[in-house]
Amino acid sequence: MRTMQSSASLHDATVVMDDRVILRAVNVVVGPGLTLVRGPNGSGKTTLLRALAGLVPLARGDRRLSGDVLYIGHRPMLLRGLTARENLEFFARFRGGDTHAIDGALRAWGVGEEMDRPVERLSAGERRRAALARVETERVPVLLLDEPFADLDDAGVTRLRQTIARAREDGRAVVVATHAHRELDELAGSQIAIDDGAATAA
Amino acid sequence: MDRIVLVAARELRAERRQPDGVVAAVTFIAVLVLLESLVVGPQIARDADVASALFWLALAFATILATMRSFDRELEDDALEGLVALPGGRDALFGGKVLSLAIVLVLVATIGGVLSLVLLDLPVGLPAHLLIVVLLGVLALPPIVVVDVVLALRLRARAALVPILALPVLVPQLVAATRGTSAALTGDAVGALSWAGLLFAFAVVYTVIGLTIVPAAIE
Repeated sequence: MRTMQSSASLHDATVVMDDRVILRAVNVVVGPGLTLVRGPNGSGKTTLLRALAGLVPLARGDRRLSGDVLYIGHRPMLLRGLTARENLEFFARFRGGDTHAIDGALRAWGVGEEMDRPVERLSAGERRRAALARVETERVPVLLLDEPFADLDDAGVTRLRQTIARAREDGRAVVVATHAHRELDELAGSQIAIDDGAATAA
Repeated sequence: MDRIVLVAARELRAERRQPDGVVAAVTFIAVLVLLESLVVGPQIARDADVASALFWLALAFATILATMRSFDRELEDDALEGLVALPGGRDALFGGKVLSLAIVLVLVATIGGVLSLVLLDLPVGLPAHLLIVVLLGVLALPPIVVVDVVLALRLRARAALVPILALPVLVPQLVAATRGTSAALTGDAVGALSWAGLLFAFAVVYTVIGLTIVPAAIE
């Protein structure tokens, strides 16, 4: 498989929302491999990922990316009324990619039987699996995964760990914000500890 | 343009499976047309100005209903965030929503228009002119309503605020659409085309405004 060279960074990034400073002059450089973001509730993990994805305006500082980003947040970000397959086809086509890998990826994630059902009829775990299948169908160099283990059963957790390991081997930059799953530490090339909006390399 | 079509196709597909917006809009316009002649009497209801005004008021509210339903669906499970996180997603959002809503409104306007013509037994002086006015009036409605819904997107009271924000801005369009429709019904070709030209200008101006504002506002 082709190795990707990827990176994403924030320089002196400050995010202010509702007059509250959420990120304080954060300097983060994410290269190929796995980077874990850890911190207590409300410390700014989600905002850090959203800032890297360009989903929040920076009050100060700047963001640099070497390529497209795939951001999967707390919720599956799939449109209700469409099936899992249709959602993934939309994302792939929007990026100008092909759709031939979608059925296989959904089957591999254990939602092969449900791929043609509207996503609102899937369980939370199935929706999460369908969303995570995007990691395999959208071959973008930077992956930002916010609490990706939420709603997953043991098989799903194992599958996600394997997927993260494979993405890391492909040279993709994988950033995972998670409270738990300490076993990922051994895969991680770097860790970012965040507390009260201030980030430090752990 | 391809991305705008993709967003519109995604929207229409979701609307086909969950036709809440279309059903609400069609029901609203049908009930209004049915009540019209009961409330104001058959003679006044058949007046071209009155029938046109009620048709466009109903269509304006139907546009607001359909647009809000469309964005409510996007907010469930953060689907909107999934779209704007894509490269070019912010730019395609406005065009895709406007295109899909225009297609939905053509359907709603067709049903509402046929109901009006049949139930009120309205004479149509210039059918082709009427079609042009209605089509341009329908195209002029979604851009400004989409802008208003996006601006109110994170507000809890958006269901109340969107009509308050949108209706004053829609007044010139509603006047133009009403006058143009009335002119087409009564056989005034010059009047119908003049108002149609104004509706076209509204559609262009509000589309340009939307393309400029929405990508920044969605952040």
